Amino acid sequence: MDRRDFVVSLGMIPASTLITGCGNRSPNSPPPAGDAKLDETRLTWDKAPCRYCGTGCGVEVGVDAGKVVAVRGDVASPVNQGLLCVKGYHLPAMLYGTDRLTYPMKRDPGGKGFVRISWDEALDTIAKRFRETLDKSGPDAVGMYGSGQWTVFDGYAALKWLKGGMKTNNLEPNARLCMASAVSGFLTQFQSDEPMGCYDDFEIADDFVLWGANMAEMHPVLFSRILEHKRRNPGVRIIDIATRRTPTSDFATTYIEMKPGSDLALANGILHLLLANGKINESFVRENVVFKRGIEDLETIGYGCFKGQTESYVFEDQAKDSSLDELREFVRDYSPAKVSQITGVSESLIRLLAEVYGDMSRGTVSTWCMGVNQHVRGTWMNNLITDLHLITGKISRPGNNPLSLTGQPSACGTVREVGTLNNRLPADMVVTNPDHRAKAEAIWRLPAGTIPDKPGRHTVDMFRALIRGELKTLWIQTTNPFVTLPNLHRFERKPGDGLFIVVSDIYPSPTTEIADLVLPSAAWVEREGMFGNTERRTQHWNKMVDPPGEAKEDAWQIVQVAKRMGMGHLFPWPDDDWHKAMFEEYRQFTLGTGKDLASYDQLKVAHGLRWPVVDGKETRYRYAAGSDPYVKKPQGVHFYKAKGYGEKAAFWLRPYHPPAESPDAEYPLWLCTGRVLEHWHTGTMTRRVKQLHQAVPEAYVELNRADAIQLGVTTGDRVRLVSRRGKLELPVVVDGRGRPPRGSVFVPFFDGNKLINRLTLDAMDSISKEPDYKKCAVRLERV
Amino acid sequence: MNVRSKWRIGLLVTGLAVGGGVATMLYRRPAAVPEPPATAAKSLAVRAERRAYDGAPPVIPHAPLGNPCITCHTTVAREVPGIGLAPPNPHLKTVGLSETSRCQQCHVFQTATTTFVASDFRPLRQSLVHGDRLYPHAPPVVPHHLFMREDCVSCHSGAAGRTEIRCSHPDRENCLQCHATIRPIASVLRAPGR
Repeated sequence: MDRRDFVVSLGMIPASTLITGCGNRSPNSPPPAGDAKLDETRLTWDKAPCRYCGTGCGVEVGVDAGKVVAVRGDVASPVNQGLLCVKGYHLPAMLYGTDRLTYPMKRDPGGKGFVRISWDEALDTIAKRFRETLDKSGPDAVGMYGSGQWTVFDGYAALKWLKGGMKTNNLEPNARLCMASAVSGFLTQFQSDEPMGCYDDFEIADDFVLWGANMAEMHPVLFSRILEHKRRNPGVRIIDIATRRTPTSDFATTYIEMKPGSDLALANGILHLLLANGKINESFVRENVVFKRGIEDLETIGYGCFKGQTESYVFEDQAKDSSLDELREFVRDYSPAKVSQITGVSESLIRLLAEVYGDMSRGTVSTWCMGVNQHVRGTWMNNLITDLHLITGKISRPGNNPLSLTGQPSACGTVREVGTLNNRLPADMVVTNPDHRAKAEAIWRLPAGTIPDKPGRHTVDMFRALIRGELKTLWIQTTNPFVTLPNLHRFERKPGDGLFIVVSDIYPSPTTEIADLVLPSAAWVEREGMFGNTERRTQHWNKMVDPPGEAKEDAWQIVQVAKRMGMGHLFPWPDDDWHKAMFEEYRQFTLGTGKDLASYDQLKVAHGLRWPVVDGKETRYRYAAGSDPYVKKPQGVHFYKAKGYGEKAAFWLRPYHPPAESPDAEYPLWLCTGRVLEHWHTGTMTRRVKQLHQAVPEAYVELNRADAIQLGVTTGDRVRLVSRRGKLELPVVVDGRGRPPRGSVFVPFFDGNKLINRLTLDAMDSISKEPDYKKCAVRLERV
Repeated sequence: MNVRSKWRIGLLVTGLAVGGGVATMLYRRPAAVPEPPATAAKSLAVRAERRAYDGAPPVIPHAPLGNPCITCHTTVAREVPGIGLAPPNPHLKTVGLSETSRCQQCHVFQTATTTFVASDFRPLRQSLVHGDRLYPHAPPVVPHHLFMREDCVSCHSGAAGRTEIRCSHPDRENCLQCHATIRPIASVLRAPGR
């Protein structure tokens, strides 16, 4: 064996395929020798945000011969400072599953499966079907369902095509299932979406209160920042409030286990003690806070899934003025003894939480995620957490903030900022406001009255209407609703239903299986993109490699269909050079609003910038004097976006309501669903990475040891999980990474072959319409 | 041999060595690339099997043992009875990481041997070519990124150090005094690796 053979036998890449244009090579390094093997120094490296969660870690992507061969944490990224998690490290292999979708396909009318078609035929067919539906059934019968994983470009193209072209507001993202309650939380309190705080707090705060957030698995890099801060400052406390022990609990100073859904009572119990003990910041409240109450009657509100709400849920809250005195009276019911009874949390731990929030000498950051958002009163719970910061004045200050953690990489940048929701326009604007519609029509150079003033259908109603046949033509991009919708059995297609469903994705999934036409999408660094993360940081990346086969980026697909429908005026840019022009048009919506985005050119070189970006400078803390350029006061805070509240923040009085469905004699266990560290959402990407698949190859059910003994099963045995809606066989895990308390079980939802959402309940938050995936009743049967 | 004779031989050897070195430097012949040792192929294959690509965190090649990882993975390699050699924790000089970090954020146990779908991924593999040298005998440039790998001796020396990358002079404390990095980074400048 000669040296070259040896190289090849080890899987090395022959020198003939080397790319030598490496920006990071030492200036003293000679060019690679003719037979040199490929090493890290000889790759082309470029920056990108990670493809997965809302943390927005910076990665450097190593490219050789037109393929991604490695990544490394970007030490220049302020988000992760070089660290990554196991999903981030395994990004390269995500692109190269052998079953990538590489050409358009349509359902074979005569047989089973799909047949290959050309892009021209695919785009013509989609344009024709949307046009026909518009002509025959009107704009309420078409829709688009996108994603918090859409880039800013994809979301903006979709928004403009739907609202400015097809004149429908039936545009929704999968983020409705993920963080819509955080959106309605911030909007009801500040009349502007997204947090005031930022990640800098992870090195500043003294106490971190985690509400329904398994950060060690779902936001691991942020959690590692907290752990390092705690190591350097041993007085730092992590308080984990949850319904099951997780890897986060293992690192927490205090673990507080509560009964499912009882967080509403717990937060009110903390408010009770803060008021009773005089631990509120009265001057802050007087200057900066107004008090509001909404509809509180349980019968009126309902849960969006019972009786008359089963098919359509349109509840709207109504605000009325309240006061600090009324609050004192309101929380009188939430004494430690009563709250302890509702929550199962000891009175001493309730008092501990009140001490944490009430100690003005310590900085407090609350983080929360799906436990709070996927909640039948998710908006209320978002309100209550922020209320704790408003009543104590612990807000918009370094180390003192409520920081909602976002699940998806651009749930903020695309869904919340571009506004790909049924009632939204960019930069906090809504379709129901005539001034907002007029501003959008002016920027888009469209006739007045183009954008409809009636909100479209929210996600669950959209799919309910689809199956009823009222919504006839739907395009789904970058998401997998036929795994993630709650109460999935409701959404099975029937033969000859007359619907037309287009699905754009990178791999086959249960959603592509039910499609009439499938488009192959370019993934991540196979196209140019921008994401916006949890801390308002907009991050740009370049196209680094070609997509496989004929795959194309989602925004391009939308633009081409729009052009075929005679809506080319919406996208008046050359087909080969439009990203900058599109972004700069979108940016006009943000300038001067307090949500100002940086320029395209600045974002192209920066490792992300946090809006508002004014005069090229980013903002760490919104509404804070000295940090936010829109605050003109010398010190303190100014909630300048809340025009409807006299530029003050709204404190909402919100009561405890029980969950929609609770365990009973027939179904005696709570079912909670969620994610695992190794898999991203429904696993379409991460399951194709060997190391991640082999770590968690299939879904399972976590049982409490006592429940397992009672049933006579142990780890590895199979059981049948049964709810009122469906059943599913799963292997048992006892004392695994998650340890649910007696009477509850947990199942991850990533496994498309084991659809746990056939069991979940389609109960929703009353205001955000986000489903509650965390609480329903099941029973276990031995198999 | 008397003391004077020893001195003469010593001077002769030193002179030849220095002269030879200078001549080599002046001659500037192309750098010879050492062949990897015979064990390298196996060692590289084992290493590659545990990583998605060179630079990816290795998966955990043993079953969960019920103890914190740092029980066995300490500052130096150590033999764990009945299992084998536990390599040292190489991240203890990494800014942002410590012995209290959560190892399983990046390193995961493997519970299956199947694949979900076959893959066309062609990973970056570790190269055994020495890093670039300005001239023969010049210290090679470090051929990899230093972040997460600041503690050079954890891989290049000690019982867990693979022979093909083992350093001949681990007693010299400051590796980066002579071996240039492909990109100096703040953490390295603050806490030079040995």
